[in-house]
Amino acid sequence: MKGFFILKKTILKKTVLLLVSFLAIYLINFILPRCMPGDPFDYTSAVVGEDNLFEMSTEQKEYMRKYYGMDKPIFTQFMETVKQNILGNLGESIHFKKSVAQIINERLPWTLLIMTSTLIISFILGVALALFNDENTILGKYIYNIFSVIIEIPPYIIGIVLLFTVAVRIKFIPISGAVTPFISYSSTIHKIYDIFIHSLVPVLSMCIVTIPKFYFTANASFVDIRKKLYVYNAHLKGIKNSRISYKYILINGITPVIVRLFLSVGSLIGATMLIENVFAYPGLGLIMREAVKYRDYPLIQGIFLISSILVLLNLFVADIINSVVAKEVLK
Amino acid sequence: MKYRKITILVVCFISLCCIFLYGVTFYKYSSVLPSGSALEKPNLLHILGTDDLGVDIFAQISRSFFHSMFIGLSCAFITFILGGVLGISAGFVGGKVDILISFFINIALSIPQLPVMIVLGAFLGQRTSNVILIISAFSWGSIAKIMRAKTISICDKPFIKLAKSYGGTNFYIIYNHLLRQLLPLLSVNAIAVIGSAIIQESSLAYLGLSDPLARSWGLMISKATRFNGIFFTEFWKWWLMSPLVSLVICTVLLRLLSKELQQILQN
Repeated sequence: MKGFFILKKTILKKTVLLLVSFLAIYLINFILPRCMPGDPFDYTSAVVGEDNLFEMSTEQKEYMRKYYGMDKPIFTQFMETVKQNILGNLGESIHFKKSVAQIINERLPWTLLIMTSTLIISFILGVALALFNDENTILGKYIYNIFSVIIEIPPYIIGIVLLFTVAVRIKFIPISGAVTPFISYSSTIHKIYDIFIHSLVPVLSMCIVTIPKFYFTANASFVDIRKKLYVYNAHLKGIKNSRISYKYILINGITPVIVRLFLSVGSLIGATMLIENVFAYPGLGLIMREAVKYRDYPLIQGIFLISSILVLLNLFVADIINSVVAKEVLK
Repeated sequence: MKYRKITILVVCFISLCCIFLYGVTFYKYSSVLPSGSALEKPNLLHILGTDDLGVDIFAQISRSFFHSMFIGLSCAFITFILGGVLGISAGFVGGKVDILISFFINIALSIPQLPVMIVLGAFLGQRTSNVILIISAFSWGSIAKIMRAKTISICDKPFIKLAKSYGGTNFYIIYNHLLRQLLPLLSVNAIAVIGSAIIQESSLAYLGLSDPLARSWGLMISKATRFNGIFFTEFWKWWLMSPLVSLVICTVLLRLLSKELQQILQN
């Protein structure tokens, strides 16, 4: 009973934290662009010689500001924004002339595809390596040392190296994009193959860094479990090693790794955005960079909001799992 | 030998510094002005070749090293002060101050780093001082959290209670007992910040959000990858690889150094 109350209290606390962090992000997102000198109309009208060569007159700028509601007091603007956002309207992209929600809708699946496949692959491989790798052998030591160096290299660097050493050399691996442009698919399998081969190198370069992360978390957890008396007892009873690995060590030691899975979304979303820029993969990261280039505030804010919500929800799930486990221990 | 690994790391890092110091002092080519023909292969004159404008690459890399180290050290210094002060005061004072500071720490830790950095970088403008501020704003959280936990655990120890009962002032206790035990841990964490700050600066530069005038590894990488025809020629072998390799070596050395120091502290 005591455990249950503590659990309820922690979940309440975590929910409050989630909401306040969200509010903080939302406020940063709202206030920051409005504090900055210059605005999109200054940018689009007096461009550095890029897309458009016309210049807006002051009246035109005033008209545009009024049209986008930028002349109202800041609090009114805030309430308007909240109202619109709740209705699912994230505003209109100034450069792409499309609604932000629509752009995100097009781009988010690609980012999620890369992220989730990276997470799943590296989770499975990291846990498997930790389960079967014996650190006392020479090979095990090598793996440990190599991993502790690799983990410090940012994924986008590995992405660039793989781009130049693998993707460019091997003919059937494309170097950019998510699908072959202007292709008409002969079958579903063909389509899946095309998407797979395009995401192969981006996912691989992220996995190289994330596998060690899961390996170290899983290893630390499994080492603790291996020292437990019940595992020793199981060995004495003559239970097969493979059975001990699955039924005793894996089941009991997997929770921290699952928590890690949710926690790593935060750093992974940054890595994905960079990797997308390396491989020109049409996800959120690529469009974010274009949005930054054109000072497309609504789009930047929309992408930022979506990615923060993603990260915060995952952190929340990790916290909940942690507190549920803590409750199990209290019982 | 207990300190064998750490000695190797320190020697490697110092020799790296020396090589790059040579690059900015006695090396005869400028890091800004062209000194040869465009895209020369590495040869006796230009030991790492030249880029598309004929600027010597080794000179650029050396300049970038000191630029990156400057950014890393500044971020480490800011996080050292900010994380240390906030963490220790949260742990030492406790009560409402602790709740407030812990709350900020948790918020700073839960905001996704790179998207915020992109947003801030886009809106604040591309100056080195802004890059330093942005990176530090997201590095202090974890240090403050560690410091807070450590301070609380030290404050529970009997010698602190004894010092308090003898009438030791807060200043006396913090200066003589807390700082003496916390400073090593704080410095080791700050060293780790140098490495990650260099990585973050390079990622921002790669996205085109760092100071475009300063020489930086991320900027060199981004320039080289954006060069037309880099995929079909051999230029990447020296133009792209040299900043890439020096970035990796430098950050890996720094991170491993801080890891080793941390292990020594724990034992």
